Amino acid sequence: MKDLLHFEDFPVGRVFQCGPYTVTKEEIFEFAAEFDPQPHHLDAEAAKKSMLGGLSASGWHVCAMTMRMFADGIILKTANRGGAGAREGRWMKPVRPGDVLRLEAEVVDAKPSQSKPFGFVTFDCRVFNQSEQVALVSMTPVVARRP
Amino acid sequence: MIPQYWEDVEIGTRRELGTYTFTQDEIVAFARKYDPQPFHIDPEAAKQSMFGGIIASGWHTAAIWMKLAIEGRKKDAASGKAGPLRSGVSPGFEDMKWLKPVRPGMTLSYCSQVTGKTELRSRPALGLIKSLNEARDENGELVMSFVGKGFVQRRPKD
Repeated sequence: MKDLLHFEDFPVGRVFQCGPYTVTKEEIFEFAAEFDPQPHHLDAEAAKKSMLGGLSASGWHVCAMTMRMFADGIILKTANRGGAGAREGRWMKPVRPGDVLRLEAEVVDAKPSQSKPFGFVTFDCRVFNQSEQVALVSMTPVVARRP
Repeated sequence: MIPQYWEDVEIGTRRELGTYTFTQDEIVAFARKYDPQPFHIDPEAAKQSMFGGIIASGWHTAAIWMKLAIEGRKKDAASGKAGPLRSGVSPGFEDMKWLKPVRPGMTLSYCSQVTGKTELRSRPALGLIKSLNEARDENGELVMSFVGKGFVQRRPKD
């Protein structure tokens, strides 16, 4: 079996760099049409007049793209037993077509289960575009202990 | 009265958002794009996993909440029952919990209840609304919950 990362490999403070993920207008439209059909995600003209000042990705799409970078960079290389949740999501700046996202995932908490052979690892996933931080998603996967 | 502004929103108001049945094709299609873990995308690998079969990405379960919430707002606006609530932008959420696996064929019932209202000193034209959002399975058991936040326009002072 491949040498997977385990609970012991995630001490608090360890930082992983993940990404990049290029955001396209087509994907913004596609996600929004299915899950979040509001004018500021679907219609460039209406979006200009909205609070966001232009076309932007649904916040849930931002979470989904964050998950993809998190999966490719960490979770698919880890003895992962699923996700318990996300204690916080912050949509700080609009994510626009053409943005190139990257992820900085820092371990901020690691709690072993008292009775079971796994633990809960909480990552603060900070999402940046080419110039600034645009989102924060805190993810808590359940990770097996090293046998 | 038709709720349109932050002032019109009442704490405690609960909305049933309707139900959604997850299909395996949709679960796999979402996860291939955004959460390609074996127990979301590969039926054989999923069988061998601790879940015993394909389950939906938690982000998929959450995205369906958004879909039903928007459909509800549009229906209300069309029927004249409510809105258009001047909202749509959110600063984020708290306490997203994925409590039970969501499997193909499962039908979830979604709801949303207003739990808090906050004035925003930095943005006097807007108010913040917090809601507790839930998805339950056919037995009424809680499958997903999170605290949502949304900006809503304040009633203009004239």
